Amino acid sequence: MSWRYGDQTAVHGLPIGATQRAAVGDAVRAGDVIAAGTTCGSSVRIAAARTLGVAPQDLGRVMRVPPGAEVERGAIIARTGRRFARAVSAPFEGRLVHVRADGDLEFAPIVDRWSVRATLDGLVTASTEASITVVGRAWALQGVAGYGPDAIGELAVAVDGPGDELPPSRVDVRQRDRILVGGGRSGPEAIARAHACGVAAVVAGAVPAAGLRVMYGDDVSAHGDPTRGDVPTVLCLLGFGSGPLPVSIFAPLVALAGARASIHTASARLFAFAPPDACAVDLRMPALALVADWAAVRPLDWPAALSGEIAFPSEIAAPAVGTPDGPIPAANVLPFSADRG
Amino acid sequence: MSVATATGLAATVDVAHEASVRRIGGRIDGADLRVVIGAPLRLAIFAGREPARLAAARAAALGACADVVATFVADARVSFVDLAATLRDARPDAVLVVAGAGDPGGVIDLVEALRGGCAGQPQPPALLVVADEPVRARIARSAAPLRVEAIAGRSGAQAHDAIVGRLREIRRGGEDVVLRDEAIESAARCLAGATARITLVVDVSGASTSLVLATESSVVLAAHTRLGVGSGADRIVARAGLERVRRWIPRAIDAPALLERVFNRARWPDAIPPSALTLAIEMSLAREAIAQLLREAERAGLAVGSLRGAAAIVCTGELARFPRPAQTVIATIDAIGPLGTLLVSRERPDALVAAGALGSRSSETVGVTVEPLALVATLWPRRPTSVTVTDGTGTVEERVARGALFLVKTSGPVELATGGASERATADALALGVVVDARGRPLELPLRDAERLPALGRWYAALATLPSEGVAS
Repeated sequence: MSWRYGDQTAVHGLPIGATQRAAVGDAVRAGDVIAAGTTCGSSVRIAAARTLGVAPQDLGRVMRVPPGAEVERGAIIARTGRRFARAVSAPFEGRLVHVRADGDLEFAPIVDRWSVRATLDGLVTASTEASITVVGRAWALQGVAGYGPDAIGELAVAVDGPGDELPPSRVDVRQRDRILVGGGRSGPEAIARAHACGVAAVVAGAVPAAGLRVMYGDDVSAHGDPTRGDVPTVLCLLGFGSGPLPVSIFAPLVALAGARASIHTASARLFAFAPPDACAVDLRMPALALVADWAAVRPLDWPAALSGEIAFPSEIAAPAVGTPDGPIPAANVLPFSADRG
Repeated sequence: MSVATATGLAATVDVAHEASVRRIGGRIDGADLRVVIGAPLRLAIFAGREPARLAAARAAALGACADVVATFVADARVSFVDLAATLRDARPDAVLVVAGAGDPGGVIDLVEALRGGCAGQPQPPALLVVADEPVRARIARSAAPLRVEAIAGRSGAQAHDAIVGRLREIRRGGEDVVLRDEAIESAARCLAGATARITLVVDVSGASTSLVLATESSVVLAAHTRLGVGSGADRIVARAGLERVRRWIPRAIDAPALLERVFNRARWPDAIPPSALTLAIEMSLAREAIAQLLREAERAGLAVGSLRGAAAIVCTGELARFPRPAQTVIATIDAIGPLGTLLVSRERPDALVAAGALGSRSSETVGVTVEPLALVATLWPRRPTSVTVTDGTGTVEERVARGALFLVKTSGPVELATGGASERATADALALGVVVDARGRPLELPLRDAERLPALGRWYAALATLPSEGVAS
């Protein structure tokens, strides 16, 4: 979970209806459009093979436009014969979305267009109808959960300290297209305001879970919710509720402020595009503790020391770690880089 | 209570939890068997128009502990584009098609949408088809290039077993492991066989929940889901609703504060509840995981009523590891809502799961030891009645009125007689005692906090459930 500079891989899922996409080997920069396509309305079914009198498997031979093509109303989609021709034409302006196994066609009107942007500077290593994979070198910070669409922008620190909460008053339109670092906690008011001001994304130690429900719906989960709609992009680095950032995480964020950056929400990672020596990373990462009745995550800025087995108020007896606020179960203390599922 | 003796098996089993592994057995260099939750399996269901087909598909998904990410019926009036987009976003690992002779048209529309939405994926889903040969052939023609697998089995039960077997194979990912749900089923069979009782095993772990009812000869009902008190906790909230979880907590906690704690727990593998509040949250999550699984089983047409009539309930996983026996007992009876008189027991940490894993790989009798906790008598008397409890210290008679919940602590072997019935329930020494539950079925909680909290406080206090600071404070 800590800062790391090196090769990164990001898989970008595509909606259906891609009309163009980057090819394997293409060099891309974060923010470049790597795929574009159309959003289609309800499709109509056109009996093509039966109308033309050909076997379904022979339909491809007589088609004049390939599957996926956009055509004008009345355009010939498939045709047979010369003197006594039989043809299938487009009933309206739209897109040939699918050729069925029985030789019928699904044809749909175009209602919108979409594009998918790269979140890494690098090379396209795989390109299919469903996803495009980009590999490139960048600074990367792994969070616990990402929400909303991928985001690209300039990294900016909007708080004074690693434990501060991002106040809504610190967010305005001057931060448009930036990725804001929101300290130990960013509430839904600040995130909603940031989204309204055109801020690309908010990165914070923690976000109140109830706020996530307000923004992303009641079925939002603790495991992230990458979406494509017009909703804010949020990256939780430590957990939910409140989570003061360790200095060893916050300091590189400050050092990288001004650099191009991106958030890949599906993998909950922040990428920053800067030279390898742009910041110094403290390799001694603090452990993280789940404290305050599970309502917050805190970095332990001192070496965690086991204090033997004790009985907690819940009457569970377990090995404990001593902290200034009292002992906490050792199981509730994890290395910063631990896999948290 | 030792219900069987191991004969020749001295294997060591590793039982995986969220992030840790507990070794059961003597070896220190490695284990003979591994019990794992298994990879999550995202399953889409395409069902024929008959409701029974949809129910059968859902039952198979529950039997295999699959996450159902999309469900469509053959006559779904959804456009091709919407279907394809939904299936693309759902990213199913497998698609279960259950169709009859009259369904091919509708099902083929769904399969075409699947092809349109998912054929381009790096790992396109496999189609598991339960249908007669002509229907299957038509589906296969529409599905290419997707892989179609015919599910064998003439009867519904055979097909169910075949689907469950295949889906479990996918979850194992080619590894030589025993899935936790398999182990639980095997353990239930072993227990029912050894005790000659219809036994319900209730397993709630961090990432999964299982209900398995077994008789001496076979598993009657098995339902598994990826809801749990750990990494599966946020799924309980998403599926059942936050309010259902909150209603069981015997102290005032607002919804945002609870959600925070549930989300943090979901992302903290093997976390321990240090306080009475967090323990109450974990108990509440366990209750709702079981209750939600019961609701899903009912929707799948499984005979949920038979679970409530089991003569014995054995709790495993996190449910069995609450510090006080009363916590395990009250969470279980609140969630299941059992009828009649039954014995509630719990496993020693992971012992039953390990024994079940051994039993699933061997025809030998496997030794299983469980700890009896309480005899639970569920009553709903028209007029006040009495229960008579006889144990090592003598006989106690208690009056029972509607709405009552109380505990009679016992020592040594116990005999329980309810009302004027001549039938008596007996048990060996119980860790908790006899619990008399006359709260009625289904158990209803008041909606308003002002009424609900005192009611919960009374119930918790009756069984001395939580440490004193946690009760209705």
